[in-house]
Amino acid sequence: MNIFVLNSIRFILFVLFQALILNNLEPGLGLYAMIYPLFIFMLPFQMGTVPLMLVSFAFGLVIDSFSNTFGLHASSAVVMAFFRPIIFKWLSPRDGYESVESVNVYSMGGRWFLYSYGTLLLIHHTWFFAIESFKLNEFLWILIKIGLSVPSSFLLSLLVQFIFISNKKVVR
Amino acid sequence: MRNLIAFFKRFQIFLVFVLLQVVALSAYVQYSEFARLQVFSSASRINGGLYDIRYAVTQHFNLEKTNRKLEWENAQLREKLKLSNYKIDRELIQIEDTNYHQQYLYMSATVINNTYDKRNNYMTIDIGKNHGIQKGWGVISSKGVVGIVHLVGESYSIVKTILSKNINVDVSMRDGGAFGLLKWDGINPKICQISGISNDISIKKFTKVITRGGSGIYPKGIPVGVITKRKSIEGKPLWDLQVRIAEDFRTIQHVYVIKNVMLDEMRELEGKIPPDKEEEEL
Repeated sequence: MNIFVLNSIRFILFVLFQALILNNLEPGLGLYAMIYPLFIFMLPFQMGTVPLMLVSFAFGLVIDSFSNTFGLHASSAVVMAFFRPIIFKWLSPRDGYESVESVNVYSMGGRWFLYSYGTLLLIHHTWFFAIESFKLNEFLWILIKIGLSVPSSFLLSLLVQFIFISNKKVVR
Repeated sequence: MRNLIAFFKRFQIFLVFVLLQVVALSAYVQYSEFARLQVFSSASRINGGLYDIRYAVTQHFNLEKTNRKLEWENAQLREKLKLSNYKIDRELIQIEDTNYHQQYLYMSATVINNTYDKRNNYMTIDIGKNHGIQKGWGVISSKGVVGIVHLVGESYSIVKTILSKNINVDVSMRDGGAFGLLKWDGINPKICQISGISNDISIKKFTKVITRGGSGIYPKGIPVGVITKRKSIEGKPLWDLQVRIAEDFRTIQHVYVIKNVMLDEMRELEGKIPPDKEEEEL
């Protein structure tokens, strides 16, 4: 499938999943599971940082429009897009990313996914919750929110990939 | 000049990053000035429509509870009807409607989307500019205070609920009348705080808290909640009061938007109070 069409479909599906389902799950203790960082993470390797940030910004604005956060998600998405190439460079395998077509847990392996996506998710969530409350005396509360939300977002992203990405497509 | 271009090329990525952050964060921090951002909220037609569809699916799950609430409210209203009162003196006491001008008008609305777990919580309701809603009007439910209209779209609007930073609703104690401002610390969606009450005023536990009606957004006497905890703040002569709020934001479905007919007059009058002149420092 054309990579542009594929990502456009993903764009819509991720927005719907985040807006209609995840934004309504409010189990308390500040746990806020986010699936949309996975979209930014799964954008093609070849994209430069600037187009990556622009796409993330637009994507974040759409998420914002559904959750009434007025730019907070857009800001966090841009932060994540900014750090993605840095983390990828830092974790690049021996033969680089030449032969890899798509970014997911199958093509890159579990350990690589854990480190790269885990780090990016941590950056994203920290930025999100810190900017959201923006008060120093709520520091502990922010830490609780991050500590609960990052693992749940991570597990959810893993689950989504296990369910929706078939293992056969991978070219190695 | 060449140096400048070289500089831009070198830090191109970082500059784009900073630019996007400035756009996003300025929108987040001072969104009230960005009227065009109304498109980017659930007051817009597409998002509101989508939430409408979802509400059409999910409303049935709460039908029983909603019915019970409406029945209860009906009973309350029926008690207030003239028919349910017995006229003691048929000749002398007459209710003159000319003595009572209507001050507050109510419009019912359905909540099609809301949150209670974020730092600032908003709800989307299904009435908007087409119905004459304006920014700054109060919103209540049958149980108590809900929030203030924050953004108005064509046929949807967004309400900033009392579970938000800097919401500052004018509240007072039903017994005693001490008044302060309602705040929310972002932790428990059932507990709010009241600040600004001096700790030489005695306040008992389980005192009912009502709106004061001072800002003209809500009428006086709308229930807010009940005082559950009382502590004095160290180093300040103020109470730290915890209020269990009357409305449960996890199950809210129907609200009323309040219009104060005399709000403009009140604001105009209060605007005539001369501002305090700052004393010149020596």
